[in-house]
Amino acid sequence: MGKKELKVAFLLALRSLQRGSRSSVILTVLIVGMCFTNMIFLPGLFNGIGQSITKQVVDYEIGNVLVSPKSGDQYVSDLGATLDLINGMPGVERATPHFSRGATLKYRQRVLGATVRAIRPNDEKLVSPLYTKMIAGSYLGDGDTGEVIIGKPVAGDSSVKEEDEFQSSLGGVRVGDSITIDYGNGYVKDYRVKGIYYTGWSQADSAVYVTSADMALVDPKAVDNADYITVKAKPGYSEKFIKDELQQYGVSEKVQTTSDLLSKVMGRALQSFAIINMVSMIVSIIITTVVLFIVITIKTLSSRRQIGILKAIGVDKEVIMHNYGFQVIIMAVLGIILGLVITLLMAAYLSAHPVVTPEWSATLYLTPMDLFLNSLILFAASIVAGYVPAYQVSREDIQSAMRA
Amino acid sequence: MIGIQDLTKIYRMGSVEVRALDGVTLDIAKGEFIGIMGASGSGKTTLLHMLGLLDLPTSGRIVIDGTDIAKLTDYEKTMFRLYKLGYVFQDYALVPDLTVMENVSLPAMLRKDRSEEQITSDSALILQKTGLFDRRDHLPRELSGGQQQRVSIARAIVNKPDILFADEPCANLDSENSRMVLDLFREINEEMHQTIVMVSHEDWHKDYFNRIVRLRDGKVVSDDIIERKAS
Ligand SMILES: Nc1ncnc2c1ncn2[C@@H]1O[C@H](COP(=O)(O)OP(=O)(O)O)[C@@H](O)[C@H]1O
Ligand SMILES: [Mg+2]
Repeated sequence: MGKKELKVAFLLALRSLQRGSRSSVILTVLIVGMCFTNMIFLPGLFNGIGQSITKQVVDYEIGNVLVSPKSGDQYVSDLGATLDLINGMPGVERATPHFSRGATLKYRQRVLGATVRAIRPNDEKLVSPLYTKMIAGSYLGDGDTGEVIIGKPVAGDSSVKEEDEFQSSLGGVRVGDSITIDYGNGYVKDYRVKGIYYTGWSQADSAVYVTSADMALVDPKAVDNADYITVKAKPGYSEKFIKDELQQYGVSEKVQTTSDLLSKVMGRALQSFAIINMVSMIVSIIITTVVLFIVITIKTLSSRRQIGILKAIGVDKEVIMHNYGFQVIIMAVLGIILGLVITLLMAAYLSAHPVVTPEWSATLYLTPMDLFLNSLILFAASIVAGYVPAYQVSREDIQSAMRA
Repeated sequence: MIGIQDLTKIYRMGSVEVRALDGVTLDIAKGEFIGIMGASGSGKTTLLHMLGLLDLPTSGRIVIDGTDIAKLTDYEKTMFRLYKLGYVFQDYALVPDLTVMENVSLPAMLRKDRSEEQITSDSALILQKTGLFDRRDHLPRELSGGQQQRVSIARAIVNKPDILFADEPCANLDSENSRMVLDLFREINEEMHQTIVMVSHEDWHKDYFNRIVRLRDGKVVSDDIIERKAS
């Protein structure tokens, strides 16, 4: 198979696509494009959801690495020393403790159960983007007492009647208002609302944050104890590295990375995702293969005499085969490009208008590797689908082809 | 040029045997314009296909230019057809998606001994000769039957074949277009000394041939050299 032969095969293929039935080419390209999109859309969406959950969990719950109490213990004790130890390790951006208590919030006639999370505001800034999510008022300062920041769903909206609320709230708290928190241990205190935030992560949004200093007044244990410590890694350091380091250098508490935790929680969900992804991929491959096979088979059958004539005038069977092969390759490539364009447009649209729910926001998460691999798989399937009928027709004997 | 010895072709359809060729022996010399005539079903196409390496005889021998074609492999036959033979069919058989120019250049493009410039100039020259140069960018469906047949003749002779085969090239044409095509054949026969083997069952075509072989039931019944009328 020389260069000249390939050139002629390519010319025949190109002309057949350009000057043959336009609509059948367009339709075929469209179907391949849709199959590509179908192949990559759901997995991309699931990945996007997974990524958004992971990001929220990292941002608002546990950072990159979570240090939690030894089994049997209720708290991470000896907090000061533990924090110093962790913060001194290479690769650790910051470690900061959380200490939470359930409480009842009261505002005018409204009563609402909520979690009060005690944080060290300035350390928290290095671990969580919470401080960037203020929609009214301002973030907590380290020394603040008697002040809280509350999530937007907790604050509520005074224009919505209580019975119409999707999620119960305090019915329209504004910055500067005073709310009462009853910790249930006999400690009741009025707080001024310093700020209102909205993160999109429902667990954080339905909570109330106070400073650790304030919490120490409620529960003296908060001074030297924490429910857990969240650790943020410096860029370039892996979660695994930090975890190994902490365990090696004497942190005796339980140390887990985000992936450790999420793989347990999301393992089952990921399994179902994987099955759905596999099914959508197989369906796409089958449709593409069948469509291209049919298109090429029809083309070859309807030009059997033509093929016989070409062979008669000295066109080698390889040229005939590659003619149809190239037609498939061109249509598959166009289809894949169309699919890429559709997918990227949808990705752009979804990142501008993500589907937001309280737990996650869905965007398309696509890596160049995903795009490349899926393109390759679909391309390979197309080639098989096209070359099978092309091979068959190219081997047909001249007499029977010419008399067709 | 072509030596044919005791050629037979038997088609078997179930238990029925059709003797399409029944012991044909013939020599065709270089430069001849030979007409193979006979009634429908007399074996003309079958003979032409044997000579053109498009089908295998049941028995007998064909030697073209010293080559016993029974000894060629499939690929060698393809190359033999590409380099040495040209074909014109009854239904023109052009590639519908290629322009006139592309159709004519197609066989030349596959040859290893042709450069791009040579292909372009050869094709242009042949198209001028066949009077279709100004239609070179048209598609076959935009041409009349007669024009299409002239394109197919141009395609057949662009590689300057040793032998040109034509199977009832005028069967789909009216008499005016038929004359044009036959005139073209005569011209290339006379000017380029092109050997032509043409099948026809129209009696008036015999004016153009300089030798007529008549077949009946797969046998040669007459073989006459004719003094051609001055054109
Ligand atoms: N592929 C074939 N199978 C069976 N019989 C055939 C085939 N091709 C030709 N024949 C028979 O061989 C005979 C000669 O056919 P052909 O050479 O086509 O005649 P012509 O071209 O002179 O009309 C006819 O009887 C025809 O029916
Ligand atoms: Mg015939």
